[in-house]
Amino acid sequence: MRSAFLFPGQGSQYEGMLHDLPDDPVVKEILEESTEILNTTIESLHSKKALSTTKAVQQCLLIASVGTYKAFEKNGLIPNFVAGHSVGAFGAATASGVISFAEALRLVTLRGELMEKTCDDGYGMAVVLGLDEYRISEIVNKLFLENEPVYVSNRNAPTQVTLSGSLKGLQKVIDYVKTNGAKSAQLLNVSTPSHCPLFNGVSEELLGELNKLELKRPKIPISSNITSRLLMQADAVKEDLAKSICHPVRWHDAVNLLFESGTQIFIEMPPGDVLTKLAQQAFPEAQTMSISKSSIEDCFYVMTN
Amino acid sequence: MVLKNTGETTKSWTTRVEAKNERLESVKGLVDGVVIPTNRIVEVLEKLIKTGDRVVLEGNNQKQASFLSHSLVQIDPEKVHDLHMIMSSISRPEHLDVFEYGIARKIDFSYAGPQSLRIAQMIEDGKIELGDLHTYIELYGRLFIDLIPNVALVAADKADIHGNLYTGPNTEETPTLVEAAAFRDGIVIAQVNEIVDELPRVDIPSSWVDFIVVADKPYELEPLFTRDPRHITDIQILQAMMIIRGIYEKHGVKSLNHGIGFNTAAVELLLPTYAESLGLKGKICTNWVLNPHPTLIPAIESGWVDSVYCFGGELGMEKYVEARRDIFFTGKDGSLRSNRTLAQLAGQYAVDLFIGSTLQMDGLGNSSTVTRGRVAGYGGAPNMGHNPGGRRHSTDAWFDLKTSDDPLARGQKLVVQVAETFQEANKPVFVESLDAISVKDQAKLAVAPVMIYGEDVTHIVTEEGIAYLYKSDSISERREMIASIAGITPIGMEHNPKATERLREKGMIALPEDLGIRRSDAKRSLLAAKNIDELVQWSGGLYNPPAKFRSW
Repeated sequence: MRSAFLFPGQGSQYEGMLHDLPDDPVVKEILEESTEILNTTIESLHSKKALSTTKAVQQCLLIASVGTYKAFEKNGLIPNFVAGHSVGAFGAATASGVISFAEALRLVTLRGELMEKTCDDGYGMAVVLGLDEYRISEIVNKLFLENEPVYVSNRNAPTQVTLSGSLKGLQKVIDYVKTNGAKSAQLLNVSTPSHCPLFNGVSEELLGELNKLELKRPKIPISSNITSRLLMQADAVKEDLAKSICHPVRWHDAVNLLFESGTQIFIEMPPGDVLTKLAQQAFPEAQTMSISKSSIEDCFYVMTN
Repeated sequence: MVLKNTGETTKSWTTRVEAKNERLESVKGLVDGVVIPTNRIVEVLEKLIKTGDRVVLEGNNQKQASFLSHSLVQIDPEKVHDLHMIMSSISRPEHLDVFEYGIARKIDFSYAGPQSLRIAQMIEDGKIELGDLHTYIELYGRLFIDLIPNVALVAADKADIHGNLYTGPNTEETPTLVEAAAFRDGIVIAQVNEIVDELPRVDIPSSWVDFIVVADKPYELEPLFTRDPRHITDIQILQAMMIIRGIYEKHGVKSLNHGIGFNTAAVELLLPTYAESLGLKGKICTNWVLNPHPTLIPAIESGWVDSVYCFGGELGMEKYVEARRDIFFTGKDGSLRSNRTLAQLAGQYAVDLFIGSTLQMDGLGNSSTVTRGRVAGYGGAPNMGHNPGGRRHSTDAWFDLKTSDDPLARGQKLVVQVAETFQEANKPVFVESLDAISVKDQAKLAVAPVMIYGEDVTHIVTEEGIAYLYKSDSISERREMIASIAGITPIGMEHNPKATERLREKGMIALPEDLGIRRSDAKRSLLAAKNIDELVQWSGGLYNPPAKFRSW
């Protein structure tokens, strides 16, 4: 039976989250390594105030997911596939051995900083439920204005799609889809219009940094954010890590590909269970678990058997 | 004068059998008579299969030669590569893994529902060379013309030591696949669950089989045709009532095929209740080509059904079928004998009606079940969902669809498409242009994957009413008929109430009230069984549902 580990992206973070990680020496090592590299304390990473910045959120997500992954790795419990949503892709690439944890931490720090300074207050994201991506794309194209740009971004589920762009433009689309078939549509509590062309510049700078590193060939195939293909080569992972920020995350397809490739067990690294719920809904036949909701011992047990 | 070849120029006419014998010779030391030891299967496959071979791998939508497919992916691609796979259904990860690993290169298939994203990607990325998409019958036909296999890898329940095979209820397409290889000096390898001294019956004789191998675990089987009545909605019951009155009763449909939709499951469950109250017993739905649907149990028990011929078996229905051998086709041992090839042919030529659900339909009645970015293929629906031009016998229902008095006029197969006007997520079913067109471009197909062509559709049923498309040859009139039952979809918005009235008066469309059906009567209480447990009760405990359908 094949298994896949899923690494969550922004939205799953919560205050004090790094205290909830599995009690394991390798987790502690990762926490120590992090505070050393970042020259800070755990408290100042996952405090409420810190988590209002994109940078700290991305750091915390990486630390929590990779730290927990290491506990599996130590026990020889290696999944057949990994995938990470948005910034989660850096955790997946770390698990797969393409980049080291230290490299990943520096990259997501840079990514967070670049994202914060790229757009001013007038930008954000929204989520629409109940319409498929093709219908939403038609609507967004119809309503598109150069000075209030809106883009269709992440395909989280067949009828759960996010939009990124200017707040004014987003509100117009929200108002329109609410009376045109959407079950719901609302702004998300994020200030960065991720996964759309507004972040082309961020992507280029990230690529520059990635080019300085010597990436290793993936030890575990990674399901890609942009193309929803399995990545088996270092260069392909590099491209996905760099470009994902300015392209839609095709999450549903990425996980669907894992399911069709024989994955029967999906385990989500902490924090949260957002990806677990999406997988459960899309593939009820598969077994889905999150470290946050099940104990890590239960996940060990499932992986062993 | 007779021209004779002289000795020198005589060409060999036995190269195929010689090549086969050479292959058989190469595994002499590895096999024990016709038995391949389970742990040597990969080694043996590497010798019996040659680079570039056409390989049939049994994987249909029910039975899977899962041990052989697992073994095939373990072949060393340095030794064997560029295989041309021929599969009626691509349903397991390893079916496409053989392409990822460089063992196979080209594919011809019929259905790929469970691998529809992956195969679409692989076609797009050039990782797989697509021969073509087929219906079942087409693909089976080509096995004897231009896709003749070098090797057939199939699955059976049991074998004896000579290689005779017993397939049990799931004979399905195994005899067809074996025939194409065995009688053209191809190699036939069957995985079996066990070898026994005496078989309950012989489904495939040993002289058609080269090797058997005992699988490490029994072949996989999917309970595809089990529909839990709990999920049938009032709208589906309304549609079922309209189908019974407005189509089956109206035309006197006696022989038919049902797909796996919940709306046709509802029809099956309304026969002993609603249809009985209309006095239709014995007048409709007597002879079926159908898998052993659990939802047909109440109709069988109530004496509605004369005969059922099956494409394949259905998990849990084995004992019930054995105990009702007046109804089903069974062997001397008592268990079901199915045959997908013959059932498809019967469904094409010998029944009055085919009925199926669709996800999308355009204004001309062309319908498709594709989703963008996915390549799912066809399966058997298009075989049965058209009017076969070669049909010559007449039945009441077929003859009733004759629309002219021309001395050469003939009847027509009833091809019914059922749809609710909107799918989930507010997606209109009736649309200007089919997604099949974008799939065609993405997957570089020669033709758009249309499941049933509008010209073949005789009736469309929605929750709004029935359109009797066969009554008109005029494209604009057919479009009007479709629009008038298409609700508030883009196509439905074209309808004009006056035209609808005119069409009703002419009998071109019928609303529930025109058929004497009150919408408020369409309730789940009409179902002869409302859940799986009640089906078990109807069967007197003979139906043994798979675990995932047990709610108690």
